[in-house]
Amino acid sequence: MKATFAVINQMQADGVIGKYAIGGAVGATFYLEPVATLDIYIFVSFQKAGSLLTVSPIYDYLTARGFKAEKEYIIIESWPVQFLPAGNALVEEALALAVETDLEDVRTWVMTAEHLTAIALQIGRTKDHTWILKFIESGTLAPDKLDQILARHGLLAKWEQFGHKFVEGNK
Amino acid sequence: MSDRMRKILESKRDMRQRLAALPFAEKVKLLEQLRDRSRAIAASGLKRQSSHRS
Repeated sequence: MKATFAVINQMQADGVIGKYAIGGAVGATFYLEPVATLDIYIFVSFQKAGSLLTVSPIYDYLTARGFKAEKEYIIIESWPVQFLPAGNALVEEALALAVETDLEDVRTWVMTAEHLTAIALQIGRTKDHTWILKFIESGTLAPDKLDQILARHGLLAKWEQFGHKFVEGNK
Repeated sequence: MSDRMRKILESKRDMRQRLAALPFAEKVKLLEQLRDRSRAIAASGLKRQSSHRS
């Protein structure tokens, strides 16, 4: 995975993408115990073509260097990587406030636990709910910080519903 | 809840906390091992056999 991020960093240095941050299961692993995953989700500021967000420059750059595209993924150093646009204000903020870390001297960025939780709540699939419960159980979330994010992005009512359904119901 | 079950759950929680406290680079190595194991299971056909049975 270190080699994967080295390629993504080079793509960033070459100006193809702006700021990026790891999300999904790999991002969550920064805060929680590792859980098996087969892919890496990278949230990224895309170059804008007109008013459309486009992944084409990423595909063009990587395929020109011999990396293969498979469905929605590009295989980079044996890891399927999906590049996702920062398509709303919450993800834009998560990118801006991502935490810098390193993987054996390769620099990279991970979304904060609170942003990963808010994004999971916003997406709302069953597996996203599972991640939220893992974050709550781990005690890694800063409640005030999370509340502020949820309020800024109109997610407080959804958070309350989640609490009624999945947290209070299990007490 | 029985004592035995309580001990199992406590032990699982402790293990999760120990793993969560590891440096990111070490956790990523574990992710790679988990991925390799998942791929090996998928390639062996065990997953398909098991899903046929269910």
